[in-house]
Amino acid sequence: MFGPFRITNPLSGGLLWKIPWRLSKFQKRRHRERMRAVDGVIATVDAALAKQGETLEALERWKREMPTEAEMLPRDKYTVFDRKAKRYRKGIHKVPKWTRVTQRVNPPGY
Amino acid sequence: MAFFRITLHRSSIGMPERTRGVLHALGLRRRAQTVFHPVSRQTAGMIMKVKELVRVEEVDCSLSKNQVKAERTPDAGFYLERKVQRMEG
Repeated sequence: MFGPFRITNPLSGGLLWKIPWRLSKFQKRRHRERMRAVDGVIATVDAALAKQGETLEALERWKREMPTEAEMLPRDKYTVFDRKAKRYRKGIHKVPKWTRVTQRVNPPGY
Repeated sequence: MAFFRITLHRSSIGMPERTRGVLHALGLRRRAQTVFHPVSRQTAGMIMKVKELVRVEEVDCSLSKNQVKAERTPDAGFYLERKVQRMEG
C-alpha cells in the first residue's frame, strides 16, 4: 500500500512519467536565475574583451539576437514552440537538458 | 594582464561531444574546478560555447592550483606557538 514498491500507474505500466505540464514557481525562479547567470557570463566576457578593444562575432551575434532575461516575455521564458502541441506551445521543462541549454527565441507569430 | 577565472559549475554529463571537447580544451575536468586563461578572443569564443556550464570572472592575475585551494580552505581555528618535543615510547 505504501513504501517504495507500491502499485501506482507510473510504476506498474512501462512509460508513464509524471511530468507536470507546467513549471512550479520554484522551478521558474531557478530557471530565471540560470538565465541571469548566462547573461552575467556574456556581460563579463563582453566587458573583458572591450577593455582590450576587441570583439567577437559570436558575442555580437548573441547581443544582437538574444533577449536578456529581463527583456523576455514570461511566455518565452517558460514555454517553447512545439509544432505537435496544442496551441503550439509546451513547457520549457520538456526540452531535453533544459537546465543546461539556452532556448530563448521562438518562431515569429507563435 | 587580465585573466578569465573560469569555474565549471554544471556537469557536462550528457552534453554533446563538441561541448565536452571545449571543456577539455579549457582544462576543466570536474565540477567546481577553476582554471585561468588570458583574456583573448580565442578564450572568449570557448567560453561562449560553454556559457551555460561555467561561471566566469575577470581577474588581474592568475592563481596556481594551491592558491585557489587555499582561498576556499577555512581557517584551522588554532595556530602553533611553538613545537613541543615528542616523547619517545
